[in-house]
Amino acid sequence: MMARIDQVLARAGQVLARAGKARLAPAWVLTLAISLLLVAVGSWAPGNLAHAQVAPGDQGDHAGHDHPEQAGDAPAAPEGQAGAAAPEGHGAATPEGQAGAAAPGARIDATLTDSSPGAALFFWLFALMVVGGSVFVITRRNLISAVMGMVGTFFAIAAVFTMLYAHFLSAIQVLVYAGAIMVLFVFVIMIMNKPEDHPWGRVGTFGNIAAVALVLYLLVRMGTVLWNVPVEPRMVRPPSRVAITSGIECPPPEQPVPLELERHCPDFGTTKAIGDSLFHEYLFPFEAVSLVLLIAVIGALAVARPHEKSPAAPTASTPSPNA
Amino acid sequence: VLTHITYGHFLVLAAVLFAIGAIGVMVRRNALIVMMAIELMLNAANMTVLVFARMHGDMGGHSFAFVVIAVAAAEAAVGLAIVVAVYRARGHADIDRLGALKH
Repeated sequence: MMARIDQVLARAGQVLARAGKARLAPAWVLTLAISLLLVAVGSWAPGNLAHAQVAPGDQGDHAGHDHPEQAGDAPAAPEGQAGAAAPEGHGAATPEGQAGAAAPGARIDATLTDSSPGAALFFWLFALMVVGGSVFVITRRNLISAVMGMVGTFFAIAAVFTMLYAHFLSAIQVLVYAGAIMVLFVFVIMIMNKPEDHPWGRVGTFGNIAAVALVLYLLVRMGTVLWNVPVEPRMVRPPSRVAITSGIECPPPEQPVPLELERHCPDFGTTKAIGDSLFHEYLFPFEAVSLVLLIAVIGALAVARPHEKSPAAPTASTPSPNA
Repeated sequence: VLTHITYGHFLVLAAVLFAIGAIGVMVRRNALIVMMAIELMLNAANMTVLVFARMHGDMGGHSFAFVVIAVAAAEAAVGLAIVVAVYRARGHADIDRLGALKH
């Protein structure tokens, strides 16, 4: 018996497909709806991050000006301006007018890399992969296909991490999640090799719709709050020594950074920088995590060990040896 | 909005991912799917942390995400062990039928 939500979504898909002459799977309808919601939240939320203001003359952006010694230290006035302008939403007409009157090119773009269409294209591609993959995961009845969708989702998330200059964590994401944890899931699915007959919760149509509606409300509120995070110009640093668009000539990674360029050419996201951060600032959490992993291995072995009455299960220790 | 990618886009993407994970946790009944949805939510939190780390130029967020990944691995190991134990004892892993502690 397919789920009621599935039926409702299939009906919605048929209604949509009447225009397009193509039958849409329910997962794709949900993906489409959530992607549209993403765009809608993005376009309607006021005071978004792209409009953080900066005073004329302050080179807070990394978009190719040639005064690197001024780039990081935003003066106090534009900080206050941006901080005051961002929570007010679209009521920030006066600073926009001031900046526009003083210097037309003086607004900074709080973009991650640059505003090139290529970066945007890849962002939307990976965002669609993330959203579609995760919707695929939570709508499958076949557990193996859910795991495969999960692997694809993790690869897309790793790509998004790379767009955030988190190269090392992107590699860790692929290794640990797509490599180790998903293999664990496949092991457990193979152990309990039984199809489920009632995949959806028994709270009824109303309960499911209420759950989805509440989560969508949560999503809109969360997305609005996150979208309205105020960005001050001093927060926007040049990304790293992989500075493609910073306009600052950073030395290659094998050479030391000169002192005057140090704050503009940080080793952001590299293994070296993570090692510095982990072993200097966060040494105790690092060691504590090793203890947590040890406890988890022992606990997993203790929990999954078969009891004496049950027949010998050679797969008892599979959930332990990851990470 | 479409061609001008900001931090907000990444944050909203993380929020969407978190919401999808929350829907999965609430709506699905299979314990394994629920655990996968929990992993999705952890990834969404990680993505948010990394966006803020990138925004501030602070590597501490990367360390935090690293720790979160390690703890998520431990959580997956213990959770899957519990699922296996429950499946051995009950013959199913249907979280709607696991109400023995309710009575």
